[in-house]
Amino acid sequence: MEEAVAEDTHVKVIVFQLGDEEYALDVEMVQSIEKLQAITRIPGVEAYIKGVMNLRGIITPVIDLRSRFGMESKSYDGATRILVIHKNGDDIGFIVDEANDVLDIPISSIEPTPEVVGGVADEYLRGVVKVNDRLFTLLHVDKVLERQANKTNQKRK
Amino acid sequence: MASVLIVDDAAFMRMMLKDILEKNDFTVAGEAANGQEAVDMYNELQPDLVTMDITMPEKDGIEALKEIKENHSEASIIMCSAMGQQAMVIDAIQAGAKDFIVKPFQADRVMDAIQKVLG
Amino acid sequence: MSQSEYLGVFIDESEEHLQAINDNLLQLEKQPDDMTIVGEIFRSAHTLKGMGATMGFEDLAHLTHNMENVLDLIRQEQLDVTTDVMDIVFEAVDYLEEIIVDIANGGDGKQDVQAVTQHLEALQGKNLLPSKEGAAAAEASSTSEEKTPAEGIFDEYEWTVLVQSKEQGYHAFRIVVELDEKTMLKAARVFMVFEVLEQAGDVMKSTPPADELEDEKFETSFEVVLVTTVEADDIKQQIRNVSEVDSVTVDAIETGQPDKPASPAQNQTRGTETLAKPNQKEKAPSPQKKSELNKTIRVNIDRLDVLMNLFEELVIDRGRLEQIASELNNNALNETVERMSRVSGDLQEIILNMRMMPVEQVFNRFPRMVRSLSKELGKKVTLEISGAETELDRTIIDEIGDPLVHLIRNSMDHGIESPAQRQSAGKPEQGTVELRAYHSGNHVFIEIEDDGAGIDKDKVIHKALTNHVVTEEEIQQMTDQQIYGLLFSSGFSTAEEITDVSGRGVGLDVVLSTFESLGGVVTVDSELGKGTLFSIQLPLTLSIIDVMLVHVGEETYAVPLTAIIETAIVHKGDVYSAHNQKVIDFRGKVVPIIFLHDIFGVDFQDQDTDYYSLVIINKGEKVAGLVVDSLIGQYDIVLKSLGNYLTNVFAISGATILGDGQVALIVDTNALIR
Repeated sequence: MEEAVAEDTHVKVIVFQLGDEEYALDVEMVQSIEKLQAITRIPGVEAYIKGVMNLRGIITPVIDLRSRFGMESKSYDGATRILVIHKNGDDIGFIVDEANDVLDIPISSIEPTPEVVGGVADEYLRGVVKVNDRLFTLLHVDKVLERQANKTNQKRK
Repeated sequence: MASVLIVDDAAFMRMMLKDILEKNDFTVAGEAANGQEAVDMYNELQPDLVTMDITMPEKDGIEALKEIKENHSEASIIMCSAMGQQAMVIDAIQAGAKDFIVKPFQADRVMDAIQKVLG
Repeated sequence: MSQSEYLGVFIDESEEHLQAINDNLLQLEKQPDDMTIVGEIFRSAHTLKGMGATMGFEDLAHLTHNMENVLDLIRQEQLDVTTDVMDIVFEAVDYLEEIIVDIANGGDGKQDVQAVTQHLEALQGKNLLPSKEGAAAAEASSTSEEKTPAEGIFDEYEWTVLVQSKEQGYHAFRIVVELDEKTMLKAARVFMVFEVLEQAGDVMKSTPPADELEDEKFETSFEVVLVTTVEADDIKQQIRNVSEVDSVTVDAIETGQPDKPASPAQNQTRGTETLAKPNQKEKAPSPQKKSELNKTIRVNIDRLDVLMNLFEELVIDRGRLEQIASELNNNALNETVERMSRVSGDLQEIILNMRMMPVEQVFNRFPRMVRSLSKELGKKVTLEISGAETELDRTIIDEIGDPLVHLIRNSMDHGIESPAQRQSAGKPEQGTVELRAYHSGNHVFIEIEDDGAGIDKDKVIHKALTNHVVTEEEIQQMTDQQIYGLLFSSGFSTAEEITDVSGRGVGLDVVLSTFESLGGVVTVDSELGKGTLFSIQLPLTLSIIDVMLVHVGEETYAVPLTAIIETAIVHKGDVYSAHNQKVIDFRGKVVPIIFLHDIFGVDFQDQDTDYYSLVIINKGEKVAGLVVDSLIGQYDIVLKSLGNYLTNVFAISGATILGDGQVALIVDTNALIR
């Protein structure tokens, strides 16, 4: 019973790091957090799609979020994580600098996005959250996953 | 007045059964929440009838049934099963259960089964 | 619905009966005097009615009841099989199909059948009393008709046993047990009854047979023959003591006359009546399939899919194990792995076979479609089907229906001419579309051939040029077949000429991409004025395929073996340039070569060798050589999809997981050959 009340006013998010900023994703969207593993390149797709990995037998596409947001790239290291998102029946991995922690944030602390946050264009963002002294940005997963349709199609011609 | 031992791990189910039984003038001798409790309580209470849930922690209903039958071959035990437990029900009957009722319980079916077993 | 357990069986069987009705109706149209066909249709309708009434689908029961009446009139030659009559009956069947589809989708099977019912009633030349509820009508008539229940006749052996038992002072009883209709876990209940029976004596026979009882393949009642020393009343009492038993009838079986098995059947009419009485709902228990000699069981398709998935996991691990074994090089290990590979190979074959289904599943909806489409188009078309028994993997079967519909519509719309045109061209008025399926090697071919107008090559070229599908230069180099193939390119067909029939908003390019996504190859051949042939080559199965693994730079790719003619090594000096295209002379043919490095944008340094490693692939007649860095070898791999996010990746048809856990991409060779 108590939990249900909490859920109404709070939302659990995973906080992760990209460059100097902290970002957040609704915990319910995140299937798992994986260490970096071998990725097979997919030819002819957008550069931010790093390829596919074998996630326990499931072929999972992996997106580099820095590259997706046009941020300067950074070589992967021990802190690099892949957040696996479950969306429309598919699993998709997001490469992030590091996954920091899981927080319960009050929904009331979510504010609409200011014009520009860090380097990420605001179309990918759902809002900003300020808890205590930390400021982080909620990602708009649908937008992140949008691909320029038929880009690859045109290559056939 | 026949006495009944109710065995079910769900308190809610025990409540429901107790309600049905008491409305029909049975005495609920005791309630057990798992198979082991059922075996112990049977030895102690020697009820006229047991309603035995199948899926329970510690010791399941079929194990408990077999143990009770070992020492009290005359024991009258009715299995409580859910849909889809057909094979287990058949096992239980082979092991000496007198009848079975299927959840969700309907009072008349429960009483019908009990009366047939005791009758 | 408490009977939901039966719903699957109900739907399956209803679909079978509907299909039978459809097939037989089409047959009847050709042979309107053949009363055996009418009889068949009648029987299917009757079974459907019984099933529908039992499950409480009143519209289904009502409609089949009316259909039955019409068929009865035909059978009694009081009504002729005219086109009008057929149209109405077909209309009724359409409604039945909708009802079943609705039920299958979880609906309540309600349809507004009033109009079609009226049509059927009009055929009967009388207006039945304002809609007596269908179920009631169905029940009334079916109890009176059900004269011969499927059971009841003993074979000679059983009869002998019965007679002997009686001589030895045993009783032989026919016992009918009726369970409460609300009974859950019926099989367990049956088990309890059998326990009682087996305590009392020997159960000689049961109807339905024991295995069907175990599977709950009966409504509420079943029947057993018991040989026992216990008296009838005692037996009855003991069975009645089992919960949820509604009624029990025990009848002695007379063996007085030493007659042959024929006579007990008569004696049993008594038993049969009691069978029908206790519950009016008693219906023909699961219709016996006459000619089925093989024992079969119904397995839920989901289970087969799970089995397949598990097996795929196993194949991946097998690959890993093979790799480990080859590294360790231990004799005992190698032998074991080899054996395991062999066994799993056999297993694979069996599993794949289990998933095979006859294309009939798809084909059998076409006769109806062609019939109604001919009317719509005002053309006369006969559809001839052959090879419907040819089998394909279920996943492929599921996909090919729509594109085939499209192709057949296309043949009827654009291929077959109007009767007048045909006549003036000196052809029979009646056009023919042949639909063929046959097996060849690792492939199944499906062909659609019409004897219509054929494809006008010049028109195709003109249109392809106007719509910028190809350039003049490209046309120059194309064979006739390649030019016909342009029909399938996207952007070829334009909105203005999409007719009602073959239009439907999708072009032939969608047909092509559907087949290609299944690993299929489509070719077209045609002769102006004579007709057109569409040929589709499909793989037998999809999920586990044989591939050649190759290295391109550091990357590993898989090329499906079905597309490979052979592998070759050519000297770099033997590569020529023609029209900006590198080619080689391969067995006397000029074959273009494709550098996978370029296609896939792989970083690579030209190696110091003087040779290219080539994988020679084909698509229909066309051949090409793929340049790779090295060949790794031939493997069985499990085809996995890249998912919905990565669609339209050029020249990649999927991925697979290799023995070392890495992902390798599968090359879509069809995309590479143009």
